[in-house]
Amino acid sequence: MASLSEEVLLVVKRVRQRKQDGTLYLMAERIAWGPEGKDRFPVSHLYADIRCQKISPDGKAKIQLQLVLHTGESSTFHFANESTALKDRDATKELLQQLLPRFKKKANKELEEKNRMLQEDPVLFQLYKDLVVSQVISAEEFWANRLSLSSVEHSLSNDSKQEVGISAAFLADIRPQTDGCNGLRYNLTSDIIESIFRTYPTVKQKYAENVPHNLTEKEFWTHFFQSHYFHRDRLNTGQQDIFSECAKQDEKGLKSMVTQGVKNPMVDLLALEDKTLDEGYGTAAAPSTSNVTKTLRENSNCAIIKRFNHHSAMVLAAGLRRAEPCSDQTSETSSTDGNSRDSDFFQPPLKKVKLQEAIEYDDLQSDCRRKPISLNLKKSDRYSHGPVPLQSQPYTSSQDILNSIAVIQQEMKSYKPRLTQVMSSSAASSAITSLSPGGVLMQGGSQQTVNQLVPSDLQSELKHLYTAAGELLRHFWTCFPVNTLFLEEKVVKMQSNLERFQLTKLRPFQEKIQRQYLSANLTAHLEEMLQAAYSKFQAWQSRRMMRKT
Amino acid sequence: MKLNIDGLLVYFPYDYIYPEQYSYMLELKRTLDAKGHGVLEMPSGTGKTISLLSLIVAYQTTFPLEVTKLIYCSRTVPEIEKVVEELRKLMDYYAKETGAKSNFLALALSSRKNLCIHPEVSSLRFGKEVDGKCHSLTASYIRAQRHSNPAQPVCNFYEEFDSVGRQVPIPSGIYNLDDLKDFGRRKGWCPYFVARYSILHANIVVYSYHYLLDPKIADLVSKELAKKSVVVFDEAHNIDNVCIDSMSVNITRRTLDRSQANVETLQNTINRIKETDAAKLKEEYRRLVEGLKEANVARETDIYLSNPVLPDEILKEAIPGSIRTAEHFVGFMKRFLEYLKSRLRIHHVVQESAPQFLKDIFEKVCIDRKPLRFCAERLRSLLRTLEIADIADFSAITLISHFATLVSTYSKGFTIIIEPFEDRTPTIANPVLHFSCMDPSIAIKPVFGRFQSVIITSGTLSPLDIYPRILDFRPVTVASFTMTLARTCLCPLIVGRGNDQVAMTSKFETREDFAVIRNYGNLLLEMSAIVPDGIVAFFTSYIYMENIVASWYEQAILENIQRNKLIFIETQDAAETSMALEKYQEACENGRGAILLSVARGKVSEGIDFVHHFGRAVIMFGVPYVYTQSRILKARLEYLRDQFQIRENDFLTFDAMRHAAQCVGRAIRGKTDYGLLIFADKRYARADKRGKLPRWIQEHLTDGSLNLTIDETVQLSKHFLRQMAQPFRREDQLGLSLLTLEQLQSEDMLKKIAKIAQQA
Repeated sequence: MASLSEEVLLVVKRVRQRKQDGTLYLMAERIAWGPEGKDRFPVSHLYADIRCQKISPDGKAKIQLQLVLHTGESSTFHFANESTALKDRDATKELLQQLLPRFKKKANKELEEKNRMLQEDPVLFQLYKDLVVSQVISAEEFWANRLSLSSVEHSLSNDSKQEVGISAAFLADIRPQTDGCNGLRYNLTSDIIESIFRTYPTVKQKYAENVPHNLTEKEFWTHFFQSHYFHRDRLNTGQQDIFSECAKQDEKGLKSMVTQGVKNPMVDLLALEDKTLDEGYGTAAAPSTSNVTKTLRENSNCAIIKRFNHHSAMVLAAGLRRAEPCSDQTSETSSTDGNSRDSDFFQPPLKKVKLQEAIEYDDLQSDCRRKPISLNLKKSDRYSHGPVPLQSQPYTSSQDILNSIAVIQQEMKSYKPRLTQVMSSSAASSAITSLSPGGVLMQGGSQQTVNQLVPSDLQSELKHLYTAAGELLRHFWTCFPVNTLFLEEKVVKMQSNLERFQLTKLRPFQEKIQRQYLSANLTAHLEEMLQAAYSKFQAWQSRRMMRKT
Repeated sequence: MKLNIDGLLVYFPYDYIYPEQYSYMLELKRTLDAKGHGVLEMPSGTGKTISLLSLIVAYQTTFPLEVTKLIYCSRTVPEIEKVVEELRKLMDYYAKETGAKSNFLALALSSRKNLCIHPEVSSLRFGKEVDGKCHSLTASYIRAQRHSNPAQPVCNFYEEFDSVGRQVPIPSGIYNLDDLKDFGRRKGWCPYFVARYSILHANIVVYSYHYLLDPKIADLVSKELAKKSVVVFDEAHNIDNVCIDSMSVNITRRTLDRSQANVETLQNTINRIKETDAAKLKEEYRRLVEGLKEANVARETDIYLSNPVLPDEILKEAIPGSIRTAEHFVGFMKRFLEYLKSRLRIHHVVQESAPQFLKDIFEKVCIDRKPLRFCAERLRSLLRTLEIADIADFSAITLISHFATLVSTYSKGFTIIIEPFEDRTPTIANPVLHFSCMDPSIAIKPVFGRFQSVIITSGTLSPLDIYPRILDFRPVTVASFTMTLARTCLCPLIVGRGNDQVAMTSKFETREDFAVIRNYGNLLLEMSAIVPDGIVAFFTSYIYMENIVASWYEQAILENIQRNKLIFIETQDAAETSMALEKYQEACENGRGAILLSVARGKVSEGIDFVHHFGRAVIMFGVPYVYTQSRILKARLEYLRDQFQIRENDFLTFDAMRHAAQCVGRAIRGKTDYGLLIFADKRYARADKRGKLPRWIQEHLTDGSLNLTIDETVQLSKHFLRQMAQPFRREDQLGLSLLTLEQLQSEDMLKKIAKIAQQA
């Protein structure tokens, strides 16, 4: 079981498992334990299977390390070497800490995915057999852009993208505990630290500024918990506090948030009142100079309220921050190209939408008027025309097309058939017969005959050939335009793949149909497609040669 | 659908109708037929606005001579815009059904801040600044100066409007605020003055209360509106306070100081003008002698605020001789200011009536009643003569002149209270003179007198009989409509005890009680765990909320709530609260869920709706009584007792309950909506409180939900929420709370509908 080729990263002797002494091996891809003097490993876990490790708290008699697997099982190792037990354990822990994340969500998950895809999709499986098993292309090439296309990969990547939001109560989770001798202990986990950093970027900045050079991590967090920043309800932050700046920044952030105002006009309390009277009118006493008269207690209450609002806003923003950059990007890119205005143009202003929403009674309306999902088009021209080849001369805009349609309509309105110059009826009917299936002009299209003439096994084989060829050609054509070195290599490889395919798959098939005396017509289209690819390749290669010389 | 409301063809722009809407229209029609006033209560979310508009528009088209105009008053700018949008929908339907384009003109009017399109002026943030700047560009003498000095900046939009806009009436159609601005930009006309000019011939005008109730503004804007108009006050549950506010004045030491500075400026300007252009002052004097009420013909742009007293109280006499010359008037004002200053230099609270004040002022500084009454007029005339550009700077002295006119005009219904310090901070001197109106009927009286029908409507007007009493009018219809429901989508619960059986109440004696605060916290915590999306909690006052939040923070209750939902809290700063509100909605929107802690009577409780997931539960912590120690309130209560025979406690409870109902009603905005309405105070269970809740809440308040513990509340809420989470389709509603035209015409249904309206 233990292949010797495996690289052993760490060996720890005198480790007990189930009351049995043994040796713990940390290898490149797995962790294993074997009892003293034996050459097999009763315990062996791939790193990818391990969910997490746990260690016994300091000061316990037994120094242990527990591995919890994804399946829920766990195995516990007891470090029994009296003198170095703690060191051994820590070394193991450190190494595992580095190794485990690397294996998380890795290989085998992917493999499973591939397996599943092949099982679910028989066409794909056939393709796989045709191309990979017969070694037309390598497995990596096959999966290379297959996976990125597949929805599975999509969900996978989404999975890793979708950030878990921050619990609003993360600060509350740091329950301070009295440690018995007039001190407080805060339990910080990496999750909480991340939450703090994500919610309060200023703290992260402070951390980056200070931690390795000025303070140790522990000192930093001690300062953090001692600071007035953490206990915001106490006022007057001292100047010596490294977090006083953070508090100021937060204040600034809150201010800017407030001055930015709100986007939704329905919740803008400032614009609610339609009264422009001065203070002094009305029964409500003017809020004159009462700021000065506020007691300390009221001020601190105010601070708490402010802090909660700010905290909630920050937590909310931290959850949304992830999503924002990409949307920003799209808006940026879209604004660079000319047609981007289209999308803005069709969206009614927010205020209108909100007003409509507010007056809508959906149960009073009959629901035939389903709200359509509006298409968010960046380039509406693109949508209605599809891509236009570049060489086709002057670009027709939608306006041109509308105009020409109008012109045609105009013409159609004034259209008068010239009844004297029409074809004779006999000529017309003969033309129709020759254009009907079986007619003189319709012999090329022999769909029906193929159905009847070719035996079904040949048909299915042809189908497979088509899918395989299609797949290969797809790979081939995706390489164009060839603008990177990688693509260059790939296109050459693909070309050879195509040739190999023609040689090993298409030829035998052609011979086979010839043996059965069927028309070679069947594969003509396939050949054509391949020829088109070859000529494209040739053209590209000759151009490349020219450029080189 | 086309409805037959008591013989009137009404176009209703929907395919279905709620039974209560039909009933509402019937009552409304009756009121209009009788040319009388009406009080109608119908829960929000039952399409009150569209019912009102449909019926009145139909009435206007059928009887164009009976009702010429609809004046629709609402409270907030978003509300105004919503009404216009609903009207647009109705008009689109009319156009579709009749095929003819109607020549209806409907428009919204708002302050300059919301309508200005002048690039510089509109960028100003505060309404006051916009008004002032606008005035300094459009006042008639500024425009006159331009003839001699072309460099003088004026507003091109106004110039354009003034030269061509008046001859060409605005084309018929529906104009919301943004449409007016678009129209203005297209034509190059000032939208604000276009709107102000157009309301005279518009069929429908939508604007805010102040344009009709505040005499200072109403005189400028609404003076010439036709008598045959129907006036609607929507969201009118607070109308008495609006009336009172429009007639009250507060004067602080700062006001006096600024007035002093204003007077100095006036003095200097007068001296300067005397040297250069004495003729102008003489001309003014001559005109005043001749008895012209105002020295100049006032243009629409010149007047910033009109006379603060009601039109029928303004004296149609010449300004008395003692203040006719400019210097004399300034001297007069100086004396008046000195007197006020001396009054503010006191160490104990003084409360007196207007006649007492007048007597005192006559004895101390020999100021007569008559010249005081002309103060506001005289100051306006002077400011115009002196060609003061930035009239907003003179707001302090204007305020003082208004006070002078008011105090000398009204001998009843007002009180003067001078407080040397705030109650909470007796050591810090901050003297304030409150001139407070106690009788809301004073301000609204001319409205009732002038227009043939006035409709007062809202979701919460219970108990209905109190409004006619405090506003002093005789309605022909008083009705309350319930919400017909296919499923009980609201669940009012009264929580009276914590799990430890300690009574929960915000009563003054126990509000600082540790157990009460903890129980309130536990209630919120438990609810945060079971209610999806948004929860809104209201406290009785801002200070109370601050205290509770602080002690929840100390008890780590907030931390635990944060595990379930994000917390946002209303602050006294409107901008900050707006931000918190938006974030709150964002958090509800993205599924995270949030809690908004807010204050009854605050801006949020008055103007923001929490539809659907924005408010699945509303918790009302305590009974939102107004601060009863306030002297102004005490004076008002006394007045109510003496004049209207309304007992203090009745009024206080009424006031508290209407605010509580307002708060909890924020969450239910329609029949597809649902929400928990939790009243967390044992006092709600008492019959005198419960009976003052609107009928549509009372109906669903069973005996089993009167004095619950927190645990019981959680159980009931869970049950309710699980039921509400089931799909709710149209078929479930049809025939019960939603009707097609055929269903509406059946005999049974008409009988049932007749029961919906409860006449008070």
